Amino acid sequence: MNNKNLNEILKHREALEQKAKEEQNNSTNGPIALDDTQRVKVLSPGRLVAKRFFKNKLAIIGLAILVFMFLFSFIGPLFYPYSQTDIFYKYDYLTIDYASAAERTDAIAYALNSSADISSKIKNSLNSYINSMEKDGKAEVSLTDDDGSQYSIQKLGEKVYALFADQLTEVAKISPSVSIAKYNKFSKQFSWSSGTTVDEGLQKAIESAISSKASDFEYNGVSYLIKSESKNIYNIIRNTPEIEWSGENLGNEFISLAMKHQDETKFAFNGADYRVKVNGDSSISVSAIGGKTMVYVLSNLVFNIYDKAENISDDFKANALLAIYNSEKFSYNGKTYSVLKKGRKYEIYDESNTEIASLGNFVIKRYSGQDTLSFDFKEKAQQTIYEMLEKNQTSSKFLYSLPQMDLQGNYVLDKDGNTAYTDTEITVSKKNNQYVLTCEQVTYLIDIFGKPSSKHIFGTDGDGMDILARMMYGGRISLIVGFIVVFLEVIIGVILGGISGYFGGWADTLIMRIVDIFYCIPSLPILIIMGAFFDAIKMNPYERLAWLMVILGILGWAGVARLVRGQILSLREQEFMIAQEATGIKASRRIFRHLMPNIMPQLIVNATMGLGSVIILESTLSFLGLGVKHPLATWGTMINSVASSSENMIKYAYIWIPVGLLICLTVIAFNFVGDGLRDAFDPKMKQ
Amino acid sequence: MGEFILKRLFLSIFILFFVMFIVYALMYSLPTSYVESMARELATKPGSTKSAAEWLVELNAQYGFDRGIVGGYLQWIKTALAGDFGDSWNWSVPVVEEFNKTIWYSFILSFIAFILEMAIAIPAGIIAARKQYSLTDYTVTVFSLIGISLPTFFTATILKLIFSVKLGWFDIGGMQSRNYITLSNFGKFLDLASHYVLPALTLTLVSIGSLMRFTRTNMLEVLNSDYIRTARAKGLSESRVINHHAFRNTLIPLITILGGSLPGLFSGSLITETLFSFRGIGYASYYSMITGDIPFTMFYLMFVSILTLLGNLISDILYAVVDPRVRVH
Repeated sequence: MNNKNLNEILKHREALEQKAKEEQNNSTNGPIALDDTQRVKVLSPGRLVAKRFFKNKLAIIGLAILVFMFLFSFIGPLFYPYSQTDIFYKYDYLTIDYASAAERTDAIAYALNSSADISSKIKNSLNSYINSMEKDGKAEVSLTDDDGSQYSIQKLGEKVYALFADQLTEVAKISPSVSIAKYNKFSKQFSWSSGTTVDEGLQKAIESAISSKASDFEYNGVSYLIKSESKNIYNIIRNTPEIEWSGENLGNEFISLAMKHQDETKFAFNGADYRVKVNGDSSISVSAIGGKTMVYVLSNLVFNIYDKAENISDDFKANALLAIYNSEKFSYNGKTYSVLKKGRKYEIYDESNTEIASLGNFVIKRYSGQDTLSFDFKEKAQQTIYEMLEKNQTSSKFLYSLPQMDLQGNYVLDKDGNTAYTDTEITVSKKNNQYVLTCEQVTYLIDIFGKPSSKHIFGTDGDGMDILARMMYGGRISLIVGFIVVFLEVIIGVILGGISGYFGGWADTLIMRIVDIFYCIPSLPILIIMGAFFDAIKMNPYERLAWLMVILGILGWAGVARLVRGQILSLREQEFMIAQEATGIKASRRIFRHLMPNIMPQLIVNATMGLGSVIILESTLSFLGLGVKHPLATWGTMINSVASSSENMIKYAYIWIPVGLLICLTVIAFNFVGDGLRDAFDPKMKQ
Repeated sequence: MGEFILKRLFLSIFILFFVMFIVYALMYSLPTSYVESMARELATKPGSTKSAAEWLVELNAQYGFDRGIVGGYLQWIKTALAGDFGDSWNWSVPVVEEFNKTIWYSFILSFIAFILEMAIAIPAGIIAARKQYSLTDYTVTVFSLIGISLPTFFTATILKLIFSVKLGWFDIGGMQSRNYITLSNFGKFLDLASHYVLPALTLTLVSIGSLMRFTRTNMLEVLNSDYIRTARAKGLSESRVINHHAFRNTLIPLITILGGSLPGLFSGSLITETLFSFRGIGYASYYSMITGDIPFTMFYLMFVSILTLLGNLISDILYAVVDPRVRVH
């Protein structure tokens, strides 16, 4: 009845099977037979692990965070315009201390055209005398110097004083005994003291006196002493005083009186007063004391000289000051000048009635101390201060045109190419006895701790560097350090652990003792010591980063070696290893093809978890300032730079908390992934 | 057992010898200019009666820097065995004196953190394991992973921000308040105690995670074992299964681990103590290390190494004591 051949039957069956398959594909809920091959899905071990891994929610979260971190720190900088070392500047209006003004309290002495020399002791104490005069309300005070000179200070008017000194006329100069020459008897040579005129008669007289071994002799009415200094060397001393008369000869009586009074400095002779002064070369000057003359004009007033006026000498200033309380006019170098009082100040005009200087109470200087301000500025500032004093204000303002700057910090030029000026508001404020003049100027400065803005999303740090860029580069360094260190650990650990576990014997014993030693070495202290050492030799940051990774790797391999050895020891006992030995596979193939894949799961889990702890260690060291150094960015240093004081901790919380969270997130992600991998590789723990 | 301990003891001494040799070699390799600058610095310190040159000679002689690595190391061992660790360069007192001054602060701090850690982590780990894949389990797992991932310095800074700066409950660092002298004895005690709070909290937070995980993993392992299934099969109540059968067996690795970490309580905590200016051994040794105080650093590293070895020894012994099966094999 069935006339179909076998071939057809097979074709029919195939078609049916195809149909069933399609049906099954269309409806997954379709009934499945007990012996259906579809029931058992055979997955490769790798896919099995992946499937288990992707079922784990925490692992997925971890993986997502890691992907984000990698994109953020490796891809992010490619698209972000700034690098980790870019320093940002800004132009900003900055209130600067432009100038300062202070009332001059000390009087300055202007010398009148006179040659009187006044000891520095008197000069230096003039101000204190003036102050005490003002305090006691005296109009005149007289003072005496150590050498008996008489001076007096007179108040000429408000803030103007004059110093008077005795007019001295020298009448005689007495030079007492003085060594005139040295004579060498052996070489018969004279060495004359400077200022002695060589006299051949005297020379002969000396020679004869010495040859007759006399101790003194007279020549031309002058007596000389001979003193033997050493063998053959004689000192010839003139014993009679030498007198130089400036005017008429007042006789020997005058001289002996002067010599007698040389310690008292003053004596009277024929009804006149004389002053005796012992000079530095032990000669004595005798001067007649005449009337008093004015030597200095002293004043607290400050000269403000018009920019284009010629240089004004002290003498001019002294004359001008005198004119204030005199005729209001004075002549100097043949020209007549007038001094007029205007409000609180005085103005000095020349013959053509143009103002050449003014006299005020305030010294106005640039804040840096230079006296480079213009006449106008000084006048205006002074005027403002006077107004402030009248109204009893502590701060005031005035306008003055200063060179204009644009927001880029360049001086603005007008169409002719000259510097443009703009009216700038200058604030005068009183600080103690000083007035500080401040104004706002555009200044070019490093944008330190810039607030978050559209240009810098997290703002800038204390060095004016973009925080977000440094976060990215910091992540790069943390991840690179983590991977390289773990790679080093795994390489060393697998090689040594593998040798130890596979070969056993003395190699095992030796390596395991080394592992024990490295296990016991306190790694954090060693890292701190090395950090301090690198600091001490000021190693460059890139070299230092490399060393840090090497040291971390060397300190961390022992755990990996132990793990690998343990794994190999337990695998060695298993049947498949015995089978390999029986089949005689090469050792290298046995290790890399059969042993390693069985160790890999543990190793991968260990390395993933290890990455997290290396990142923590690195950031901790950097936080302590002993790890990666500026200008390289790391998360640890970024936190340290802003969270060191309690004030900054609050102020810059928007910087250090996100950075800290980045560290935490990265480490958590590695732990999540490691945990997920462990569960995926080793399903025994799952029920 | 006695033979085993003796063997391990000898091994430990052997390891200590080489660990200290490595540390010594490292110290020795620091450039001499470093020692020279140290000598200069010491000579200018207040109270120094020696000149820089004298210091240099003394330092070189004291640490055998004039005898090469091996000779110097052997000399260091000789003096160390006699109990003489020299004078600390940074603290200007004998090393042992500085050690005695600081060690108990550190121990108390670590001990408080240790107790807190155990009191929180073990129950949390057990609960998480009992209710695997529940919300509680996930919470504990996530918290412990976060705990492991928290860098100490970040935790400390966050705690400082919250409790010192914002709330103002505790000082930001140090051991005493400003008005310490004026306080009564009890007040002084309270003041000191308040300075322990933040460091202890930091230590607990950063170390609690791993213990929690450890407890959970071990409890899970125990709960999956055959004897628990047997206990359940014979109809024991769940509480008896957990408290009587499972918990006791979980204790085996726990006691081993915790016993092994007991010596570590003396080693101080470098980072935490430094961050809180807590005058313990960790703080002292941190500043000794960064200032190149070789005598104190050598002493501290030796001390820490001994503690580590002791910890390993204790956990090995405890393992044998607690789990009779180990002794049989």
